[in-house]
Amino acid sequence: MPSDSSRLIAALARDRINLDLKTLDLCFLAGLYLRADRAALASFEEDVLIDMFEQICDVVDPGAERPRKRATHAIQRLRDQRMLARVDGAGIVRSGEYTLTRLAAAVVEYFLADEALTRESLTLLTGTLRAQLAEILAAARRADTEDSWRERVVAPLRVTVGDLVGGIERRQRGLDSQQEEVQAEIANLLQADWFGAVARCQSLLDTTTDTLRELNEVLLRDTHHFVALLQEIQALASDAEQAESDEAVQRVIEHVDRIAAWGGARQRAWSDYYQYVHRYLRDVVRLDPDRALSQRLRDQVASWPSARFHLLVAAAPSIRLLRPLESRVERPPVARPRTDREAPPDLVDPENAGLAIENLVAQALAAGAESLAEVTERVLPKFPPHQHYVMTGRVADVLARVTRMRSTYERSWRPVEPNLELEDWDLPRAGDAR
Amino acid sequence: MGSAESGGCAVTASGFQSLEEVIADQHFPEVDLALRRGRHVGRDDGTAYDYLVDALDRLEPFYRRFGCELVQRADGYFYLLPSGDRLGRRQLSAGEMLVGQTLALMYLDPATLQHGGMVRREVLLHRLSGLLGTETLVRTLNPRQRKFDERVAAERVRSKVAEALRRLADLGFIDVVDEEMLRLRPALMRFAEPVRDLSEPQAALERLVKSGEIVLGDGDEEDARQDANGTEDEDEEEMGV
Repeated sequence: MPSDSSRLIAALARDRINLDLKTLDLCFLAGLYLRADRAALASFEEDVLIDMFEQICDVVDPGAERPRKRATHAIQRLRDQRMLARVDGAGIVRSGEYTLTRLAAAVVEYFLADEALTRESLTLLTGTLRAQLAEILAAARRADTEDSWRERVVAPLRVTVGDLVGGIERRQRGLDSQQEEVQAEIANLLQADWFGAVARCQSLLDTTTDTLRELNEVLLRDTHHFVALLQEIQALASDAEQAESDEAVQRVIEHVDRIAAWGGARQRAWSDYYQYVHRYLRDVVRLDPDRALSQRLRDQVASWPSARFHLLVAAAPSIRLLRPLESRVERPPVARPRTDREAPPDLVDPENAGLAIENLVAQALAAGAESLAEVTERVLPKFPPHQHYVMTGRVADVLARVTRMRSTYERSWRPVEPNLELEDWDLPRAGDAR
Repeated sequence: MGSAESGGCAVTASGFQSLEEVIADQHFPEVDLALRRGRHVGRDDGTAYDYLVDALDRLEPFYRRFGCELVQRADGYFYLLPSGDRLGRRQLSAGEMLVGQTLALMYLDPATLQHGGMVRREVLLHRLSGLLGTETLVRTLNPRQRKFDERVAAERVRSKVAEALRRLADLGFIDVVDEEMLRLRPALMRFAEPVRDLSEPQAALERLVKSGEIVLGDGDEEDARQDANGTEDEDEEEMGV
């Protein structure tokens, strides 16, 4: 998972995001959504909310007591879950005005809206998308400044085109769930009416197959046009060195590819399902119109332990491959060559840096160094670079032993080398030394 | 019982002019080995199935010389049925038979249709114990055990069922999609053969015995052979035997 996604998910978990909506809450939200839609309301006064809640209560839970009190709780609950937002800003001065949030609208739309992809909706969406892309292409040809690219290319790509492509995808998901419903319906029809349901099942299969084929044809044709237009815009953005536009176009191309892939994948999957059901209708349902076979087979399984029979199958062993004949050879015993594992120790120069450091520190002090940093700066060049870090600590150690340090509460950091800093100590003035 | 007797299967003119062409075809080695190992080659096997449909007229007499029949079923699958001793044969074990029959029942169930012929192992186990009862199931799958610890018995049933599924997959009755899901294939209808027509089950069994499709009896030999292969004997002591 990309780190951005992980961070976002961690933030959601940290904020303990959750939704807890009862049926009554959902119905209340749906009532508000429909009311806003019909009366073109942008917001609701508090009385309208309470009135709506009471109406919903009458339908959902007719015997409920104290509906006004329940309405107050429901409104608070929905505000806590960011489903309702107060928009008047008047605080306690007067009763509030509320609106449904984007989250509430999305939840209600999911349950209410019938947004499956149809040939009509897809053709309309792809037509609008094509016109929009042509407009953006024209704007890209005229664009000559950074701002004009951003305003006339990037923004429409992200907002208008993004929304249109998102709309197609949303409807594709709608069609997916519709297909699942068709599959469940076919199973239920057969369960309920067996042979009598064959014609209806066949018709359901054919309708969905036709829909998918038509959609796939439209998608194949139009996505090809989209990608051609988008590639032209991308080429212009690339020539004009507009990285932001280039990236925005690339994102839309990927989105369009995903939409096109959906069509092919769904058609293939449906084709498999279609063949399976078709075979089932032909081989199982039509050949057993009274559905007696299942019952007879069930009886057979139940009585099998007391009246056993076994199917026979071919079981030819694998062909034996003989190893090539070879005369017996004397194999030498497994052994390991003897080696002298007592290696002589390496000779290295004795390390007398400790002694050297004490002398070098004394020399630095004698030369007038007034702080740890100054002493360190004078001592370090006498050692190879890879020892500088260690030597810095040893200098501090020696200095602490031979003199008394003075230090402020917040010790300042001072560089002694390009890649090395230390917290500095001041040294006592002359005559203070131990 | 060849294609002529299978009734209802499509009559297709052979696409091959001679047996030599059939054997020279690229599909022959794989299909031949699969059939000899007891595999049921069905429509789901794609070109291998098409090859058999095309080559049926040439292959039937070819396999008859080995003492076996190449059978084509109207449900859309082929298999080799040895009738003599020239080609090895085996009978399915009790586990394979119980699991196979239950899967055939599930194949007929419209609920399976909703998922395009896919079923979960868990559903199979529920169905098995629902049809037979847990105790009968345990005793049928472990005929030599006298005492049962509930936990060990359940574990053993699961292991026997898993083993049966693996073998049924090798034989082309099902496809193992993943650890959870199984895809049912039309060859499962072989398990429903004794009750497929409206004749008396006993008469149907006798007819199938006569044609060499099934054998009657306990099938202890096959179970013993499987146990001897050392798949499930490790917990004998734990079972308290």
